[in-house]
Amino acid sequence: MVEVDSRIPLDWDALEVGETFEKYEYTLTQEMIDEYRRGVMDPEAAFPTISHKVDVRQFNAKYSDNGSVNARCAFHCYNSPIPGKRLTVTAWVADKYLRRGKNYIVTEATSVDQDGRLIDRVITHELKQPSEVGKKWGG
Amino acid sequence: MGRVECGQAFLQVREGDQVGPLVKEITQEAINLFEGSAGHSGPSQFTDEEAARETLGTSGTVASGRMSVSFALELMRRHFGSDVFNHTGMVDLRFIRPVRPGDTITFTGEVTGTSREANGLKVNVKVEAQNQRGDTTGVGSGSAIVPNAYLPPEE
Repeated sequence: MVEVDSRIPLDWDALEVGETFEKYEYTLTQEMIDEYRRGVMDPEAAFPTISHKVDVRQFNAKYSDNGSVNARCAFHCYNSPIPGKRLTVTAWVADKYLRRGKNYIVTEATSVDQDGRLIDRVITHELKQPSEVGKKWGG
Repeated sequence: MGRVECGQAFLQVREGDQVGPLVKEITQEAINLFEGSAGHSGPSQFTDEEAARETLGTSGTVASGRMSVSFALELMRRHFGSDVFNHTGMVDLRFIRPVRPGDTITFTGEVTGTSREANGLKVNVKVEAQNQRGDTTGVGSGSAIVPNAYLPPEE
């Protein structure tokens, strides 16, 4: 059975800065934290939330495009997430810009746990022409 | 500039102070763990060579920029201590070149200045990542606000 992609094809010109996506919720498990820590080779890594890419998750759930490449990312730490707690993510389109003929979209998200603790804030600039990576850096 | 106490150790903060280095050897296994930890199990430019070829036009996979951010967070946390950095820290990295499996990436930082904030001393750090060939893969900044309670009385 073929899955139908019901997402909206991304129209960069029409995309509105300030668009806020539906909240996304998930529970951060100890297993997720342990796997993340092995991946980054840091047994004390406190913010496994970064690997969840929550700032673009709802964007990618709504819009279809040719993929993207992370051009810049800022991460602000407020409180380490606690395993087993439910996290609620609010994400929005923070900006968009054209540089050297290439389209960028800036998404921003905050994560808050079920007790109301602010966990982190992440801001990502994504280049929406990912094939530029291969053109510039080759194989 | 002030002397700050991070955890048990005292740290003299001066412009030009070095932060790190922190060295990371990037493997496909580490990339897979990073992606898998969030449930990203399907083929992607990070985990699958064919997907990387199709999406990026590269011959092999690349590491997510967010892995580099994770390493920069570690660099800063080791310097300031988790009790400070995990509550007031941040990093902001621009990704200059791809990081690939087999690369050895060295993260370094340098204190560029401090400023008094309402809740402590903000320490600004220039952050850079270089691969084993000496090419810069990422550059940016980070900061942490050392709470007033951690600072020695002004002389």
